[in-house]
Amino acid sequence: MLRITGGTIYDPANGVDGVVRDVCIAAGKVVADVEGGRTIDATGTIVLPGGVDVHTHVAGGALNFARGLMPEKQRVARKFLRTADRRGGLGGLTPTTFATGYLYAGMGWTTVNEAAVPVLSAKHTHEELRDTPIVDKSCLLLLANNEILLDLLEAGEVERARDVVGWLLWAAKVYGVKAVNPGGVAAWKWGKNASVMHEPVEGYEKLTPAMIVSGLARLVDELGLPHPMHLHCNNLGNPGNVATTIETMQALEGRRAHLAHLQFHAYGGENWSTMRSGAAEIVEAFERHPNLTADAGAVLFGDAVTVTADGPWQHMLHQLTGHKWGNLDVENETGCGIVPYVYRDRHVVNAVQWAVGLELLLLTKDPWRMFLTTDHPNGGGFWRYPEIIQLLMDAEFRRAQVRRLPEAAQSRIVLGEIDREYSVYEVAIITAAGPARALGLTRKGHLGVGADADVAIYPSKPDADGRLFTYPRYVVKGGEIVVEEGEIRQVVDGREYVVRPAFDAAIEEYLRPVFQKLYTISFDNYAVEPERVRDAEIRDLPEPS
Amino acid sequence: MIRLVLREPLPVPLEAEVLSPDVMATLAHDAIRALPVFLGKHRRRVDDCFRVEGEKSDEVTIEGDASRVKWIGRGMSRGRLTIAGNAGMHLGAYMSGGAIEVSGDTGDWLGAEMSGGLIRVRGNAGGQVGAAYRGSPKGMTDGTIVIDGTAGLEVGMRMKRGTIAVGGQVRDFAGLQMLGGTIVLRAGAELRTGAWMMRGTIVSLEPIPMLPTFAPAAEYNPTFMRLVARHLSRLGHRVPAAEAEGAYLRYTGDAAVPGKGEILVWRPR
Amino acid sequence: MGGKVTCTLGEVKNRADFIVYWGGNPAECHPRHFTKYTLTQKGRFVPNGRKGRTMVLVDIRETPSARAADIFLQVRPGRDFEVATTLRALVKGQRVDEATVAETGLTLAQLQDLVDRMKGARFGVIFFGMGLSMTRGKHMNSGAILTLTAELNAFTKFVCMPMRGHGNVTGADVVLRWTTGYPFGIDLSRGYSRFNPGEFSTVDLLVRGDNDAALILGADPGATMPQPGIEHLARIPTIVLDPKVTHTSRLARVHVTTAATGISAGGTAYRMDEIPLPLRPALVSPYPTDEEVIRRIREAVARKPAWVPEPGGLLEPVARPV
Repeated sequence: MLRITGGTIYDPANGVDGVVRDVCIAAGKVVADVEGGRTIDATGTIVLPGGVDVHTHVAGGALNFARGLMPEKQRVARKFLRTADRRGGLGGLTPTTFATGYLYAGMGWTTVNEAAVPVLSAKHTHEELRDTPIVDKSCLLLLANNEILLDLLEAGEVERARDVVGWLLWAAKVYGVKAVNPGGVAAWKWGKNASVMHEPVEGYEKLTPAMIVSGLARLVDELGLPHPMHLHCNNLGNPGNVATTIETMQALEGRRAHLAHLQFHAYGGENWSTMRSGAAEIVEAFERHPNLTADAGAVLFGDAVTVTADGPWQHMLHQLTGHKWGNLDVENETGCGIVPYVYRDRHVVNAVQWAVGLELLLLTKDPWRMFLTTDHPNGGGFWRYPEIIQLLMDAEFRRAQVRRLPEAAQSRIVLGEIDREYSVYEVAIITAAGPARALGLTRKGHLGVGADADVAIYPSKPDADGRLFTYPRYVVKGGEIVVEEGEIRQVVDGREYVVRPAFDAAIEEYLRPVFQKLYTISFDNYAVEPERVRDAEIRDLPEPS
Repeated sequence: MIRLVLREPLPVPLEAEVLSPDVMATLAHDAIRALPVFLGKHRRRVDDCFRVEGEKSDEVTIEGDASRVKWIGRGMSRGRLTIAGNAGMHLGAYMSGGAIEVSGDTGDWLGAEMSGGLIRVRGNAGGQVGAAYRGSPKGMTDGTIVIDGTAGLEVGMRMKRGTIAVGGQVRDFAGLQMLGGTIVLRAGAELRTGAWMMRGTIVSLEPIPMLPTFAPAAEYNPTFMRLVARHLSRLGHRVPAAEAEGAYLRYTGDAAVPGKGEILVWRPR
Repeated sequence: MGGKVTCTLGEVKNRADFIVYWGGNPAECHPRHFTKYTLTQKGRFVPNGRKGRTMVLVDIRETPSARAADIFLQVRPGRDFEVATTLRALVKGQRVDEATVAETGLTLAQLQDLVDRMKGARFGVIFFGMGLSMTRGKHMNSGAILTLTAELNAFTKFVCMPMRGHGNVTGADVVLRWTTGYPFGIDLSRGYSRFNPGEFSTVDLLVRGDNDAALILGADPGATMPQPGIEHLARIPTIVLDPKVTHTSRLARVHVTTAATGISAGGTAYRMDEIPLPLRPALVSPYPTDEEVIRRIREAVARKPAWVPEPGGLLEPVARPV
């Protein structure tokens, strides 16, 4: 039992905007009142619901591949020394699993959404998530380049496609659907891409990326998944891709979707020398499509590692930069590409990228729709979120950073003209309340009675660098104090959110022979066994509508 | 001057990055004795392993067979470190200044990723002299390493600038993925010298096997060799440069990259 | 280095029309490889199976695998690096020295032909084995294949994959990476993981005698290590966990017989392409599993005073001048 008293509470989901009052916790949940137990004196602090990272890459085959590719980065990463109750680990951009949990909790983030899981290696992802302490997790299944599914969509066999998607989601024991560069990753199996929304995908007669986008979004809605289709649009990273992104929004035809790391999809211009910010155009279109949420995917100057299922883009980045390149194509399903990268403030394109993420967050009027991420580790390490928050909250500081950018960059962005400053209330929305709502995690992202007791308590005064949120005084997870004065005090296990869609079990009779023909393992070894997911919280979904 | 004498043979390697002029220059005798060293997983005091004499000096001498002592002189930037005997791996790694002198042999990773200073080894060195650690884009970026005896694999791997001179033969992959700088092999090398080099100069005073991706370009006496010769003669390594003595056959490569490196092989008259 | 461009085996089955086996003998060492994954399978995009594929075997002698090859390239022992480096140059249209190439046992014409075939493939794959990764050059031989593969992607789709040895080495690699950040050759004595092959890899530690105890599980270094390494194992307290009494067991202080993984002990193995597969034991064993034994050792160690890393153990990075 716990009482947090004297803190200034920000709970946007319940309309609480900076009110000094108690938060009471018992049996891992927020309750109306509590007697006995410990009291935390939170005077001089701001109290927020624990952070919810709606899009990050922290576990599984792709991230583990990245870990092995860069020993030189591991060598200089933050070290977590083993203690009597805490495992050792390495931080950095591809942290080891134990360190990942400690790093997130150490920032006051308590729920993370692993954004990219292939069915074939989902067992691996769950093993890593099991070794990621403290935080609660969900994960998203890569489906937009699943060739069994694409064949069905091409053939127009929508109901069968829906049952296959349902079966795959339950087999992988995941929470939602991820679509990456629809059709493009399948084309990459032949060294090609799919950048034109209405052109058939390599190897298909009719099926276009637009059809995959709308087809999959429809299936997600029919299956009643709590989180919309989570979409990494085609044509990522290319100058002028604003057009593709807007076409994608249109292709959804009003269906729900969450647009991932929108910064990478918001570039104007025709080529690298004319590349400029397209954020204003994107926001204008985004606001006209109320069915959409998005996360910023903002970049910060400094080290990053690009880890994405967008294989063709990564080959291009490798050729452009000469940096080492990792690529792993997963049979019939997806792939991943890895290239280490450094965003430099003297580099005009990087400067524009830096501005675009911030512009998206500042120009979008409704903070309930545009969330804070860096697409970790693509745009920068997640522990640097407080730097982005500072740029959102302090216009003076932000404008000073803009003035330091190369002349050529300043004329391609609008960031310097924006006066808006985020309030703590709005920060609580883009880091917790909004992502929780978009994920459909009703007990996360708020501090009302019945919520999971995940609470982050920060000093109300900025640190020496002028930042809030860098140093939690306390972090509570499921009612347990896990962080005190910036130090991990206790390690608890988090749970994994899993959906069980309703689908026709007979679909297995269709799938089994198709699978055996295409894959190289036994169909009976494909699904993730329930025991492999630690503390699974399974949500049964209704019959398809 | 500070004098450290190894008390007895070490059962496992000792990691002793504190044995550096930078660390000891301002420390009193007791403080030096109390500095931490790591014997396997156990932390010990310097004086558990060494008898200590002197204090507050950037002239440090180590005596005894320190071939199991790793990381001596790590990151040093000043002073003089003299090893009367052998030294272990990573001697002078990341150093940026000062001088190290070894009367015996050293282990692998001598002067790895150093950016300045001078290392002289009278005996033999191991592999990865002046090299990049695994995955690192660059090895040494400046400084001078001179080895009288032999050296092992991957001498000067991914070095960017600086000079390495070796009196005895070196093993495979000298100058692997070299980015710049100069390697002088006074007794030649085994295989794959200059493999995948981008830039830089490897000088061999003995004929060496060439990779198929190197092509002979010219035979001549490059002017800069006189500068190299002068620099190295002060360090006790004689490198011929005079026309009267012979000329260098220049090979360019490695075409596999393709790189603009060169290997100069001495042809006496 | 160039990096690592690879895929899972089903991609090879479904698409590969050009397959190179280099430094390995799959017919004897990976007996189902040809039939399950690479040659004889009818793939989604290779409907003619074997007829739609070309197989090249590169090795120092003609093994039974050569019978399955369309082209056999006999390279001289220890010359693989020179061959791979030549291929890298030829891929880029660079000149190479014909006479020096011939010293590898292969001619320039043969290698140019190989490059032309690789570039002309729709989907090429190079499987490289221990004949490459364990012979003169070692990791640089593997590095050469990896870099060549990455470079071929400028022309066509190309991937490569190491042919793994036995004992779920891939699984160990995968788990070590997610827990420590490194695949092998790891030191934990300063309280955090450090990686340096040659310094911390097993053969080097044993040959130099750097360790004062050893726990051996699922391996038999007493049979494979250089003599100084074997002598060291015999000198120090060595513990072996194995279903059989091995060469190492005979040198060891303690041998614990454990159940054979995959036969009477379950778990998860990672295939050479890093796909996790569940192991379902078919038989019951009277012996404990490796896991049980390790747990019991840990419990006994936990009853002693806890070892935690001492302060000051961190080797902080040294800032380099830019």
